[in-house]
Amino acid sequence: MQPAQKIVIRQEEWERRLHEVNVSKNDLNRLVMDYLVIEGFKSAAEEFSREAELAAPVDLDSIESRMNIREALQRGDVGEAIARVNDLDPEILDTNPALYFRLQQQKLIEFIRQGKIAEALEFAQVELAPRGEESPEFLAELEKTMALLAFESSPSAPQSILELLSPAQRLKTAGEVNAAILESLSQGKDAKLVGLLKLLCWGETMLEEKAEFPKLDLREGMLTKLQ
Amino acid sequence: MSTPVPIPYPYLRHDTPGLDTDDDSIASASPPPARATPAPPAPGALLSNPALRLPTRWSEQDRHNLLTVSGDGRELTFYGAYCSCVGDRDSAAARANHPIPPACGIYYYEVEILQKGAKGHISIGFSSPEVRLTRLPGWERQSWGYHADDGWAFPGHKDGNPYGPTFDTGDVIGCGVDFTKHKVFYTKNGNFLGLVFENVGKGVDVYPAIGLRHQSESIRVNFGHAPFKFAIEDHVQSQRDLVWASIQTTRIDWDLLYGKDQKLDEDAPEKQDTATAVPKGGALEEEQMKAPVRKLVLSYLAHHGYARTARAFQAQCEGRHDTAAALDRDVDMDGGLQASSSTSDLDAELDLRARIDIVNAVLKGDIEYAITHTKQHHPTVLEREQGLMLFKLRCRRFVELILETSEAVKKVQVEEKESAHDKVKEEEPEPESMDGLGAMDVDDPSPEAHCMTSASSLDGTVPSASGDTLHPSSASRRSPAPASPSAVTARTALETAIQYGQVLEADYRSDVRPEVRSHLKRTFGVVAFADPLAAGGEVADMAGQEARARLANELNQAILESQGKPAHPALETLYRQTAACVTQLGLLGTGSAAFADMSKEFLEA
Repeated sequence: MQPAQKIVIRQEEWERRLHEVNVSKNDLNRLVMDYLVIEGFKSAAEEFSREAELAAPVDLDSIESRMNIREALQRGDVGEAIARVNDLDPEILDTNPALYFRLQQQKLIEFIRQGKIAEALEFAQVELAPRGEESPEFLAELEKTMALLAFESSPSAPQSILELLSPAQRLKTAGEVNAAILESLSQGKDAKLVGLLKLLCWGETMLEEKAEFPKLDLREGMLTKLQ
Repeated sequence: MSTPVPIPYPYLRHDTPGLDTDDDSIASASPPPARATPAPPAPGALLSNPALRLPTRWSEQDRHNLLTVSGDGRELTFYGAYCSCVGDRDSAAARANHPIPPACGIYYYEVEILQKGAKGHISIGFSSPEVRLTRLPGWERQSWGYHADDGWAFPGHKDGNPYGPTFDTGDVIGCGVDFTKHKVFYTKNGNFLGLVFENVGKGVDVYPAIGLRHQSESIRVNFGHAPFKFAIEDHVQSQRDLVWASIQTTRIDWDLLYGKDQKLDEDAPEKQDTATAVPKGGALEEEQMKAPVRKLVLSYLAHHGYARTARAFQAQCEGRHDTAAALDRDVDMDGGLQASSSTSDLDAELDLRARIDIVNAVLKGDIEYAITHTKQHHPTVLEREQGLMLFKLRCRRFVELILETSEAVKKVQVEEKESAHDKVKEEEPEPESMDGLGAMDVDDPSPEAHCMTSASSLDGTVPSASGDTLHPSSASRRSPAPASPSAVTARTALETAIQYGQVLEADYRSDVRPEVRSHLKRTFGVVAFADPLAAGGEVADMAGQEARARLANELNQAILESQGKPAHPALETLYRQTAACVTQLGLLGTGSAAFADMSKEFLEA
């Protein structure tokens, strides 16, 4: 195997190879179903199950409650989210103290966001401080959150602390809870389709160093012509 | 991408065991070894590709002449009758018969020390084919070796480093190369000794190689002929998981996926959305890529005409976008893409109800509808390739008519059986009478038999009497009563089918394209069977639902192509493109590609 100058793979040859890839419509349908389930598109998943004559990999009702939990967290309604998680499967929080702490922290953040300082203090002392003693990691997070009170959302506060109030923090918490629920249902955390896109990005970038070949233009769904 | 049936391709199969049994060393003095249990040295290898053979034995040619290879090709022994002729620096080395394909990801073999000899100057490792056979592996550039006498590892020059324990007679030394890291590892009696060396096998072929120096030193190799001492499969699995996890940290680069050259296109505003300077990683990045992925899914659903799913999906996307936007205006999560462009995309595609209805008609067997409406909405499609699409549709129409006939005949038979059964009961109430009835069907001039008769004479000269004889025979046989409605239906169906077949035959008689000839032949072949769907094999394949699905798919693609759209959904091309890239990377020696097992990651449940 000699150190290569780039080999050139012509359009026709490349298309032949694409054709030889062994993948069926049913395979692709299952990829799509996986996406609909993981991303929580319940009614689309139901329709797809009928139209494509494909069994759903999970109870589709679980999608709905998972989505409700996610939406509750994105709204900032942590109490509702916790109750719904426990309805779905109490073990999820019992066996995952870090996740439970994350939810409680989010609740504290929401108190502070709403300016309910007294509630925030009481909640921190009763619910969170004991957990902070359990692990240094929890304690650091608790301290960071409590710092929000000191700054009262003033713009002079350090970025890392202000971020706790950002929508990204809600998304992060919602994402962690979502992943934990999926795990409890023996589902992947990410849609396989996303993994496929990552693999293509990796593959095309790696191969570009060694070969010239037609790339995929995903917008058009067609191969780009070689120069 | 011309033929519709996918061809199986030797492609990173995790479960393909076996070494290449086809030994190509031409002047081999000893026969290729017989293997009882060929165990894969590295799962995930491109083992079925003949260009990617694995080592199976020591080479008879590529060895120092003081080394003897045993009959089965696995043992090497130093027979230096004249030790003195081996100078202080000189040794005797041998390489395996094939280089190691980097596409296997991790390659591993084991060596048992049969006889260490007096000094134990044994080196185990790898070397490229240019390396002299008078040197121990590890002493020369492009060779790497682990030495028994001092436990040092030599990376291609005489300055080695302490690496592992020494080894002795009876020890089993394992030797692996990890092409994802271009490093080597050794094991001793099943224990991992750690990674060593750099840039192994980058740009050169490497072979398993052994070096011996003294009288009676002897080793026996296991190239996967027998189970290994070391749990290599666990090791490979854990490395595979690491590599896969690392690949999955790749950031999705939409510029790359959307074709880099289009950066300054008319779509620039949309592109800015995906490239907005939000902090990398985590939830926000995830939010960002939602729109393009949704678009990918939506266009897939539209392509295949999953209209209800597409509508539900779109409605949910929009609902979500609204919630998200109302809550998080400062983030602008989906960049507005949902509401604007993909809606119109969907409408544009779904409003082509015509296409979907046509495709569904083919799937249901309503070919007439498909032909009429294709003619109306997509006239160029039927003219493609000198009317090939139309020809195929018409052939299918004929098959459908035959199937209808077969159904109608079946119905008549059931009715006849029932009425005959009643009669038998009345006249001779024997419990075994059903057998007699079964035999009767074969001999009687039933409509079924007629169908077969007419089929055999289909090529132009169908006796018009066939239709006429049907009625009297079936009527006169059992009951003096007039033909039942189902018998009439069956007769009409048969007549229609025959007529259609005659016209079809006449219209394409002069078309000499081999494709047309063979398709026509197979189409008429269906007629010979009373119940084509139950016939199995090629006939059922030609008549069954699978054939409808193939034709529907072909027609769908033809319509899309006639509109300048891709014949395959972007999602499908995405999968194929990815698989082709990964395979090509494997062939070009990127070991990590061997661990991107797509069917395991994406297709298995």
